[in-house]
Amino acid sequence: MTAVATSRTSWLGGVRLVAGREVASYFDTAIAYVYGIGFVVLANSIFMNEFFLTGTVDMASYFEALPLLLAIFIPAVTMRLWAEERRQRTIELLLTLPITPMQAVVGKFAASLALYGVFLLGSLPIVGMLSALGHPDFGRIAGGYAGLLLLGGQLLAFGMFVSALSGDQIVAFVASTAVAFVLVLTGNPQVVAVLDGLSPSLQLGTLLRESISPMPHYEAFVRGLIELPALVYFGGMTAVFLALNAVALDRARA
Amino acid sequence: MIRVENVTKRYGETLAVDAVSFTVNSGEIVGFLGPNGAGKSTVLKMISTWLPPDSGRIEVAGHDVVKEPLEVRRALGYLPEHNALYDGMRVDRFLRFVGRARGLDGAKLAERLAWVVDKCSLQAVVAKRVNQCSKGYRQRIGVAGSLIHDPPVIVLDEPTHGLDPLQVVAFRDFLRGLRADRATLFSSHIVSEVAAISDRILVINHGRLLANAPTAELEAKAKASGRDVEGVVLEIVRAKGAAA
Repeated sequence: MTAVATSRTSWLGGVRLVAGREVASYFDTAIAYVYGIGFVVLANSIFMNEFFLTGTVDMASYFEALPLLLAIFIPAVTMRLWAEERRQRTIELLLTLPITPMQAVVGKFAASLALYGVFLLGSLPIVGMLSALGHPDFGRIAGGYAGLLLLGGQLLAFGMFVSALSGDQIVAFVASTAVAFVLVLTGNPQVVAVLDGLSPSLQLGTLLRESISPMPHYEAFVRGLIELPALVYFGGMTAVFLALNAVALDRARA
Repeated sequence: MIRVENVTKRYGETLAVDAVSFTVNSGEIVGFLGPNGAGKSTVLKMISTWLPPDSGRIEVAGHDVVKEPLEVRRALGYLPEHNALYDGMRVDRFLRFVGRARGLDGAKLAERLAWVVDKCSLQAVVAKRVNQCSKGYRQRIGVAGSLIHDPPVIVLDEPTHGLDPLQVVAFRDFLRGLRADRATLFSSHIVSEVAAISDRILVINHGRLLANAPTAELEAKAKASGRDVEGVVLEIVRAKGAAA
């Protein structure tokens, strides 16, 4: 046998390794800077516009506007995650290392969630400004950020899954954005009312809002409530899409 | 160290690999010859655990590629066909990433990194990004990544692709130097290159293994018939192709 004995990389060690490489790749290219600046400028501008109109010392308008912005922004982050590995053929390199598909999926998810978290930090000046101007409800603000992280996590997991199914970044982006819009808009009261009006017996709008939309759960966080069903919904949906992603990678080999 | 038993693989209706069997023992360098599309890369991808065989069995260092893929990957140094690398990464960071994934860390990782950088002559590019390297360097980076954990089994798909003639000669010597206690299987479609390095030659075409013979035997046959090894291999491919 050869001389060097290698140790087994632990499950979390493999995840950290993939996540570290992925985070480095964001900052090796312009992706992190372009997306980061674009997201922070857009999100903060939307808030400031509302803030000057209403003059209230809270972040409600920020948390109300973000889900629709995420429906575009998150697919833009996730579209390349697997499609690019396939295009460059590095997926064969990655998945013939002693790393399981699930480790690779969770590693990429952790990296994209961390990047998204850093972008959310770009709104902290708003919190600082509100603190200087008055006495905002920090419980609601913390709840809103927790909701944004969980909603973002769900959309990231879904976008990654779509990227694994598609070899093309544009297809992955369009499909993920379309589904993300459906998920967000089915929670919008006006859309619910229109759909209910179109199908009074079925109450389609209410049915969709209560069954598939993440918005009722997200809105509970924005109100400062941490409810078990919301945690189960976001945790469950994220876990399901990550597991489906690992299955999609395994099937892609055959 | 590599045992391939009656392995078959289909892509849809196309039979890519048809009941192929061979072994590669420790201390042996085996060349895998065949024209483009013959099935070489498919066999190597199945050995690497990237593709599952439809039927048959493959063992690497005593581990089944389907049942124990992680054990196989730990024992294997694999250079894929297109040698895809993470272009944005610095060469040393890429090699560290591969080394860590293979279970190396600390002083051991530093020692092995220094070894592959030296043996693959990567000193000039080690601090550059992969996408700033020439094709020849990229190929050597891929080979370095496959050897960083000093694996007992090496599978290299077209390892000399993109190397200039001097680099090819250096690579032959390098591969021969790795022979001790190691099973090496590499593919090429260049007969002279395979004959110059290998102890044994496998010839595949249309997914079927047409020959599995010691290089010395093919060379003797070539000498006796007044041809070179390439002529003998071509005769095998034509004769068995016609018979099929």
